[in-house]
Amino acid sequence: MMKHIKKISFWFLVLFLLILICMPGIWIFVSAFRPNPEILAKPANWIPDRWTIHQFTQMFSINGYVSVPAFKYLMNSVIISSVSTVIAITIGMMGGYAFARFNFKGKNKIFLGLMLARAVPGISLSLPLFILFAKIGIINTSFGVILVYVAMNVPFTIWLTDGFFRQIPKEMSEVARTDGCTRFQAFWNVELPLAGPGIGAAAIFAFLLSWNEYALASIITRTVHSKTLPIGMMDYLDEFTINWAGMCAIAVVMIIPALILTFIVQKHLVSGLTFGGVKG
Amino acid sequence: MANVELKNLTKKYGDVVAVQNMNLKIPHNEFLVLVGPSGCGKSTTLRMIAGLEEITGGEIFIGNQLVNEKDPKDRNVSMVFQNYALYPHMTVEENLGFSLKIAKVEKKEIEQRVKEAVQILGLEELQKRKPSQLSGGQRQRVAMGRAIVRRPDAFLFDEPLSNLDAKLRTQMRTEIKKLHQNLKTTVIYVTHDQVEAMTLADRIIIMKDGYIEQIGSPIEVFNKPVNVFVATFIGSPPMNIIECDIIKKDNNLFIQVDKNTTFLCPKEKINSLENLKKVLIGIRAEDIVPLDNAITSNNANWTFEKIIDLAEPLGTETQLFFKLSNKEIISRMYNPRPVNIGENIIFQIAINKVHFFNYETEKTI
Repeated sequence: MMKHIKKISFWFLVLFLLILICMPGIWIFVSAFRPNPEILAKPANWIPDRWTIHQFTQMFSINGYVSVPAFKYLMNSVIISSVSTVIAITIGMMGGYAFARFNFKGKNKIFLGLMLARAVPGISLSLPLFILFAKIGIINTSFGVILVYVAMNVPFTIWLTDGFFRQIPKEMSEVARTDGCTRFQAFWNVELPLAGPGIGAAAIFAFLLSWNEYALASIITRTVHSKTLPIGMMDYLDEFTINWAGMCAIAVVMIIPALILTFIVQKHLVSGLTFGGVKG
Repeated sequence: MANVELKNLTKKYGDVVAVQNMNLKIPHNEFLVLVGPSGCGKSTTLRMIAGLEEITGGEIFIGNQLVNEKDPKDRNVSMVFQNYALYPHMTVEENLGFSLKIAKVEKKEIEQRVKEAVQILGLEELQKRKPSQLSGGQRQRVAMGRAIVRRPDAFLFDEPLSNLDAKLRTQMRTEIKKLHQNLKTTVIYVTHDQVEAMTLADRIIIMKDGYIEQIGSPIEVFNKPVNVFVATFIGSPPMNIIECDIIKKDNNLFIQVDKNTTFLCPKEKINSLENLKKVLIGIRAEDIVPLDNAITSNNANWTFEKIIDLAEPLGTETQLFFKLSNKEIISRMYNPRPVNIGENIIFQIAINKVHFFNYETEKTI
């Protein structure tokens, strides 16, 4: 009997914590599908009286009327995040491999430098970046944002992939090289596939980091040309009113791709992070 | 199909010398074993031949071609590693065919050669499996197959059996030997296990601290070790080495092993021992024979009596432990009978089986 009570109370605790953690998310989802006044109702109206997709139709100009150019923002976000991730993971992969496999002068110092670069709060760079970008004319361009995100993600991807390559026995590439591979072929045919899950995980992290980034983008992006979804969300902020429903709707647009992506690669993500099963 | 030659091969890591001025000619089809304690430079030598380690000085020739500057892929050697290093993401078949695929060999040819290797090594049942589904012995076999498929000029083995259990090791040892007899290729084999070295090699190289101590056939290095290191390294249990005083008395030369045990110096050694005060003698355990299953006694034998400290029966033999000049000495008793601890046993040593080493230089006299 005691055992049952223990078990039930355990599951109640789990449920409670789960609700606690998911509450903001649930609230956003629910609020995205109801009219603004209902969101502001006191006491809180947990289950909407009236469901509506008004915000979404407006956002994506389905009835001709555009509240916020969400599609454009979505495209910006997709392009900026994907491109910066591809670049960052390519550089990071090469860098990580170099750190894991080669010995060169100042290796540890360079590595430490990269890690310290991660420790600098991004927002503190916003002013110098703004001035610099304005001077060279890449303010308010996707290119500028991509550049910033690549710089932000490279140390991180190097750090992660370095760990993954380290876990692959050195003999793997050596045997491939005596098997007739060049160093690059050995990397491409043997070490890269083995580090694949890890690199995938690193790429997802880099993508999500770019996808969610707000602080720097809010400085660099000025108009619809380059604004990403997180920045676009602020379009719902007017001088006297806040369109909470619109904000929640655009947040949903932001969350869904990230959520799908995470689900798809979840297995790899875990295996990537708990990598180490490679044994000849 | 090639001979391998090393000329003044040297490897240094900073100030640390791993291999020093190594000169060596390995004729085609020889099974050469490099043996020595860890850190003696044997693996480094092998890796330099493979091209995985940069050389500090000297030259390497494979098939009369200087390969110093060549990449591993262009040296046409195959290496088998201790931890197998199979490609975990490929099946056995793909592992075997990988080198040919890289070399852009035709698919039919690849299939043919993989099939050959599979047959030689008895891997038919395992072709579709991944390395993680194989046992240690099977993995080692695949690793060897991968080397065979390439038809290299030379096989390089880097302690290939060290990860296997004792029984499997013996089995695989035989297989490697057979393989060499079938393929007739040059093999360079690194091990720290002297039994492997003795059983496999046409020629053994014993290395220590980056230097070659001795090169010779297994029997040669066993019977005529050039110094104490080789004498104790080759053979199991290791050769008994005893520090002795040389005493002159009544125009005769005696070797005093301990207070109560003195032997007459063999005639042919008198000249070389006369002027020395101390000498190291080395006797293999099987040459210290308990009298009751002994050789016939004659003048050419040393005889002495000792109390047994410990007896280890092994079935075919019993190893007897006793003390001589405070050193533990092992003797082998063949055709064993039960031996009690504390029993007095008379031993005999045929003097032509005794090795003499210089006390200072430890070199054979």
